Amino acid sequence: MNLRNEVYKTLGFTYRNFIITKRNFFTLFETLFWPVIGLLSVGLMGAYLNLEENYLAFILIGAVTLSVLQVSQLDVAYVLLFDIWSKSLRYTFVTPISIFNMLFGAWLFGALRGFIAFLILLICSEFLFDLNLLIQPFGVLLFLFGIFLSAMIIGTLTCSLLLIFGYRAEVAAWTLTAIFMLLCGIYYPITLLPSGVREIAYMIPLTHFLEFYRSFYNFPASSDNPALMGFLLSFVLLFFLFLILIWALDRARRKGTITQFSE
Amino acid sequence: MHSIVCEDVWMVYRSMFSEKVALSGVDLKIPKNKIFGLLGPNGAGKTTLISLMATLLRQTKGRIEVLGYDAIKDLKEIRKRINIASGNPNLIWSLTVYENLRYYSLLYGLNDRKVVEQLIKEFELEEFRNVEFNRLSTGNKQKLILARAFVNDPELVFLDEPTKGLDPPVAKRLREKIQSLQKDLGITVVLTTHYMSEAEMLCDRIAFINRGKIVAEGTKEELKRMLKMRDKITIEVDAKVPEMKLDGVFMVERDGNLLSFYVDSAESRLWDLAKEVAKFGRIKNISVKEVDLEDVFNELAK
Ligand SMILES: Nc1ncnc2c1ncn2[C@@H]1O[C@H](COP(=O)(O)OP(=O)(O)O)[C@@H](O)[C@H]1O
Ligand SMILES: [Mg+2]
Repeated sequence: MNLRNEVYKTLGFTYRNFIITKRNFFTLFETLFWPVIGLLSVGLMGAYLNLEENYLAFILIGAVTLSVLQVSQLDVAYVLLFDIWSKSLRYTFVTPISIFNMLFGAWLFGALRGFIAFLILLICSEFLFDLNLLIQPFGVLLFLFGIFLSAMIIGTLTCSLLLIFGYRAEVAAWTLTAIFMLLCGIYYPITLLPSGVREIAYMIPLTHFLEFYRSFYNFPASSDNPALMGFLLSFVLLFFLFLILIWALDRARRKGTITQFSE
Repeated sequence: MHSIVCEDVWMVYRSMFSEKVALSGVDLKIPKNKIFGLLGPNGAGKTTLISLMATLLRQTKGRIEVLGYDAIKDLKEIRKRINIASGNPNLIWSLTVYENLRYYSLLYGLNDRKVVEQLIKEFELEEFRNVEFNRLSTGNKQKLILARAFVNDPELVFLDEPTKGLDPPVAKRLREKIQSLQKDLGITVVLTTHYMSEAEMLCDRIAFINRGKIVAEGTKEELKRMLKMRDKITIEVDAKVPEMKLDGVFMVERDGNLLSFYVDSAESRLWDLAKEVAKFGRIKNISVKEVDLEDVFNELAK
């Protein structure tokens, strides 16, 4: 395996996502418009309810997480969808790429978009709500990396579902994030969730990344080291999801899904 | 040395509710550095076979060897050396000619803009360099699809009905292009088509495929003999007619008192044939029908 070749193969997907985003006004819109709307509405609600500063931070962190995750997961989830919509799947899979080049390349661009969205939200919360979201810069970077890993998790899952169930799974790209959000305590601590659901929430890395960020504002976390917990869970989940994806891809070759998506 | 070897290849598409046998026991050897044609009617299994050889599908049973590599175990080795272009011209819609080629060359691990520029020139796409794929004419889409198939300097190129849906003059130019590319680069080309004339013009060897089976395979000259069966003369007699050998008759089918003769030309053979048959009994009815390619395939499949 030639490292330089692998880098180019991966960057091929980054390049493609970049061009498509550049060309499509609506995907650009997604990076800027919805995150700002989300932050504004939640922030204004906070102002109306006269929240103390750390509670305002609590809900704004929720709004920021939602947006950054939404923006960065789309790139990974779309990596197969672009080909499916254009019926060009066979031309991607006839090249010597691996599914990891594909996911990782798209993810890089998703992370870049997510990072830009985060910077915009950082500035907005500073100027509009007088709230500093960057009180621990290194911690915030770790948190962002955690969100990007969650984006990879959702994207990988969507790709597998698309290969297994076809077009019908397209909807997964949007709904998975929403379900994650509900479970992970986006605007509330997970202790509010009924037991049973709470245990599921505990298994999702995003829960811990949210708690990690909120711990900068003195909110308690369900584990001693939420960042570590989040990363461990992420890597375990990704490991299994990658196995599922490899299986789904082999299944697609046996079932003719790839050629079917190309006609 | 062959470029592709298929041994007893089966492809069954299974879904929850149905099972479709698309290929049943294909044996095929494709020689190196020639144009090989897979000719067959719609639904015969051409796309399935070509996709298996291009590693986009995985066979249910049997062995496929491409350029000396196993199509199940050595996917990457094969993929580096082959490419494919289909007559359904679909690439990412919003990418321009340049961007599409650049994207695909990156997927081969190549970061050489010169290769991309060269292809644009070679395929006469300079004028459309910055035009998005969905704005191109069908002919130019087809050119781009073909250009894309050469980004990795392949040894073996699969073309799945490359001239499908093109106007005759555009199709003709594309055929000439395929021919000159094959000659200049000395590569192996495997193409599918359901046009007899296209296979005849382009291919050094042709395999007929029908209902998932290879029915006949050979050089043009070898196949010509079979394809001389132009007409089918059916004669009804009231007596048993023994075996006989007649000029211009390739095959005789018997169904009770019905005798069907496959001949090169009904016009020149009918009189002799009727005279010969009349020696054994009274002729009650004679009909003449043109044999179509599918009749020949079916006859050969038996
Ligand atoms: N992905 C698939 N799933 C199920 N059946 C398929 C699939 N692809 C092709 N078939 C069926 O297999 C047969 C052969 O198809 P194909 O290889 O596309 O033929 P051709 O290219 O010669 O027209 C057809 O009956 C077709 O309906
Ligand atoms: Mg076909």
